[in-house]
Amino acid sequence: MSKQNETGGKVRVKRISKDNMQAFLMILPFLIGFIIFSYVPIVYILRYAFTNYTGFGDAKFTGLANFVRIFQREPDFWMSLVNTVVLSLGKLAVEIPLALLLAVFLNKKLKGVSFFRVTLFMPAIISAAIIGLIFSLLFASYNGMINSMLQNLGIITKPINWFNTKSKAMLILGIASVWQNYGINMIFFLMALQSIPKELYECAAIDGATGPKCFFKITLPMIAPIFQSILLMAIVGSLKVCDLVISCTNGQPGGTTEVVMTYIYKSFFGKSGRNIEIGYASAMALITAIFLGIVTIIYLKATKKLKELEG
Amino acid sequence: MIKAKRNLSNSIIYIFLAIFFVISFFPVFFTFMSSFKSNMEVLTTGNTLFPKHFVFENYKKAWELADFSTYTKNSVFLSFFCVIGSILSSTICGYAFSRGKFKGKELIFYFMISSMFVSLGTLTLYPLLMIMKFVNLNKSLWGVIIIRVFGMNVTNLFIARGFVTSIPTEIDEAAKIDGCSFFGIYRRIIFPLCKPLVGTVAILSFRSSWNDYMLPMVFTMTDPKRMPLVVGIMHLKSSGSTASAWNLMLAGTAISLIPMIIIYIVFNRLFISGMTAGAVKG
Repeated sequence: MSKQNETGGKVRVKRISKDNMQAFLMILPFLIGFIIFSYVPIVYILRYAFTNYTGFGDAKFTGLANFVRIFQREPDFWMSLVNTVVLSLGKLAVEIPLALLLAVFLNKKLKGVSFFRVTLFMPAIISAAIIGLIFSLLFASYNGMINSMLQNLGIITKPINWFNTKSKAMLILGIASVWQNYGINMIFFLMALQSIPKELYECAAIDGATGPKCFFKITLPMIAPIFQSILLMAIVGSLKVCDLVISCTNGQPGGTTEVVMTYIYKSFFGKSGRNIEIGYASAMALITAIFLGIVTIIYLKATKKLKELEG
Repeated sequence: MIKAKRNLSNSIIYIFLAIFFVISFFPVFFTFMSSFKSNMEVLTTGNTLFPKHFVFENYKKAWELADFSTYTKNSVFLSFFCVIGSILSSTICGYAFSRGKFKGKELIFYFMISSMFVSLGTLTLYPLLMIMKFVNLNKSLWGVIIIRVFGMNVTNLFIARGFVTSIPTEIDEAAKIDGCSFFGIYRRIIFPLCKPLVGTVAILSFRSSWNDYMLPMVFTMTDPKRMPLVVGIMHLKSSGSTASAWNLMLAGTAISLIPMIIIYIVFNRLFISGMTAGAVKG
C-alpha cells in the first residue's frame, strides 16, 4: 500500500476517495430506505401512542390516557398477550424436542436420510396464511378430514367441533404452528450436529459411553451455543405469530384465540367490529414492543451460560 | 447380537421418519385431492381423501370466474420485482460493505443489522401504509415492492457480504489498475461472479414475496383487482360466499402451492442452505 502511494502519488489518493464516495453512494439509497421502513414506523408509534388520533382530523395529546385505559379497561388485550405466551410455550415444548430428535436421526449415516431431510423441510416453504387455511379445513367440524379419520378408527363416535371452545381452537393453532416450523428447526439442529467433531464420539465409545449418555454428555453441550440462537429465533418468531392465526381461527370463538399481533392489527385497521383508534393501537403496539424487548433481554441473560459452553 | 440390535434401532428410526414424512405431506396432499372434488362433495362428505370423480372444472372456474388469473398475475408481478430488486440490493450492498473503505462503514453495517432486533412485524403495518401514502403508493403493490427491496433483508445482507468477501481481491485489484471505477468493478466483475449468491437470494425472496400475506393485504385491502394469490384466497374465504365457493378456494390454494413446490423440488439444496445461512451467522 505504502509503495503504491509513493509511485501513484496524488492520482491514486484521489482515486481512492472517489471509490469510497462511490461505495457510499451505492449503499445510500438502501440506508435511507432502511431508516424509513425500519425506524420511522417506530417513531410513528411513539408519536401517536400518547394521542387520541383516529386516522382523521387532528391528533390531540392525551398524555398517558391510552395506557391507563389499556391497564384498567382492556382485558382483551391482556388476554391476547397471555394467549400468545401460552401458545408459544406450548408449541415450543413440542416443536424443539421434536426437531432435535429428528435431527439426531437424520444425522445418523443411514440410507435415504437426504430424502427425509428434503421432505420434512417442505412445510417451511409454504405460506403461513395458507397453512392456517389448510388446517382450518382439515379440522372442519362436519366435513373435516381429521374428524372422519378419527371416526373411521373408532376413536370418536360423533364429529368434534374443533373451533367452538378456546382450548380446542388453541390446540389446533399449536398443531398448525408446530407443523409449519419443525422442519426448519430440524435443519438448524442438523447443521449444529454436523459441526461436532467425530473424534469426540470415538473417544467416548472407547470410554464405554453409549447412546443417551453420549447425547447428554457430548451432543447437547457441544450444540449449546447454536441451540441458544435457534431457541431465541423460535421464541421471537412464535411471539410474533399473526398470519397463521388470522387465517386459521381469526380469533374465533368469540375473540378468545386472538394473539397480540392480530389484536393490534385489528385495532389499527378497525377489523372485527373495532373502532379505528390509531393512537390507542399505537399505545398497545408500544407495550407489546417493550414486552418483546424484555423477553429477549431476559432470555439472553438467562441463557448466557449456554453461549459460554463453547470452546 | 449387536447387529440385530442395530437393525432394530434403525428400523425404529425409519418408522419414526416415515411417520413424519406422512405428517409433512398429508395436509398438502389433502389440499390437492380436495381441489378436485365438486363443491357438493367437499361440503357433505369430507371423509374420503380421494375424490369420487376428479373434477377439473374447479380450476377452470377459479381461474376464470373467481379472478384467480388476476391474482396469479399480481403474484407473479410482485414476486418478479421483489426478486430482481433483492438481487440488486443484496449484491450492491454486499459488494459495497465488503470492498468499500469509506468512513463509518462498520457502524452503518451494524446499524442495518440491528433491525433484526427492532423488527416488530405486524405492529408497524399501519405506519408503513401511512409512509407510502405520502408518495401515493398506499394502494399499489409497488408500495410492497419498495418496502421489501429498500427495507433490506438482514439475512440477504449477511449472505451477500460473506459471499463477496470470499471472492479474491486480486481480481478487482487487476481491474482497478486497468482503470475500472468502484461501480464498474461491481458491474463488470463482481456481479457476474455472484451467480451462486444470486440463486440463493432469488429463491429466498421468491419464497417470502410469494407467501407474503399481511403486507400486500393491507396495500390491496380496498381493491381485489390488485390482490396477489394468498391475499385473494383469504379474501374469498372471508367474503360471505365461502360455502358456495369452497371448491374454488381449494383450487386457488392449489394454484398458489404448485409453483412453490415445483421450485422447491428443483432447487431444494438452495432453499435449505439459503434459509439456514442467516441463522448460523446471526
